[in-house]
Amino acid sequence: MVEIKRYSPVAFKASPKRTEVRDNWTVVLEYDGEGQAAFGQSNVNENYLVDLSHITRLDVQSSNLDAITPFGITIPQGLCESYLQDGVLINRMNRIQASVFCLSGKRPEMPTESSYTETTEVGMCMAIIGKDVFSITEKLTSLDFMDYAKTTPFLYQAPMSHIPCQIITLSRDGAKSGIIFTASRGYGKDMVHAIMDAGAEFGLKPAGEDKVKSWLNTL
Amino acid sequence: MSLTITCPICGKRDGYEFRFGGEDKGPRPDEDGLTPQSWCEYVHLNECVAGRQKEWWVHKDGCGSWFTIHRDSVMNVEVATPEAHK
Repeated sequence: MVEIKRYSPVAFKASPKRTEVRDNWTVVLEYDGEGQAAFGQSNVNENYLVDLSHITRLDVQSSNLDAITPFGITIPQGLCESYLQDGVLINRMNRIQASVFCLSGKRPEMPTESSYTETTEVGMCMAIIGKDVFSITEKLTSLDFMDYAKTTPFLYQAPMSHIPCQIITLSRDGAKSGIIFTASRGYGKDMVHAIMDAGAEFGLKPAGEDKVKSWLNTL
Repeated sequence: MSLTITCPICGKRDGYEFRFGGEDKGPRPDEDGLTPQSWCEYVHLNECVAGRQKEWWVHKDGCGSWFTIHRDSVMNVEVATPEAHK
């Protein structure tokens, strides 16, 4: 039997320092030069770009979305609202559709109902975290992430670097600021190029999954 | 100032995120007694109003919704829908 091998559409120029094979993905936990300190524990200016393309993502569609509770969590009622609980992020896309991100990194037991479609491998997923996130995004999109009519976490379905994305703002609390976004798989390489270029003046560095986990723990 | 359009799901956004879907011509004509000429007129002919008109737009770089807005075609700005004043 041939063993499945899954490849992330995202690649950084940095060398992985620690990796782990998980559910046929090679997941980078830490890159050379990113620093071993947990997020928020270092004195240096921290801005990181992290590949999360391996995290399980689901699309939920139903004419009665209120009756569906992915992993026991209620889908937010308001359009473009998001909800984070126990490492599961749920984003209300429209009246009949929501997206679910399993940020814990572990593959959950998949729901069997026909309302669910797994979308993990059709897209890329990345996170930008750190103090200067919104200075970086300002160079990439015209969206107003600091719109105080919105409360975090919230969803934007909008272009970034001219690519249609789902962008979830999880925090805009100073150094703990961060967004997670997804787009079609084919744009992975070019998105990394554009984001790293925009973030160069802010010291943006590639980081492994551990950095996002420690960031999520601070939220 | 460039065109902004209010998506019913995402709110007010840059007009470049949207694609124009044509004038709103109402429901398609009844197929009983439909002639090629009247179908052709429905499909291809437009009013091209100089002023306020109802139009279809799709939020192609966003949520993908199709919806109608009222736009002033002379000023190229979105205007409040007549329904909003009722």
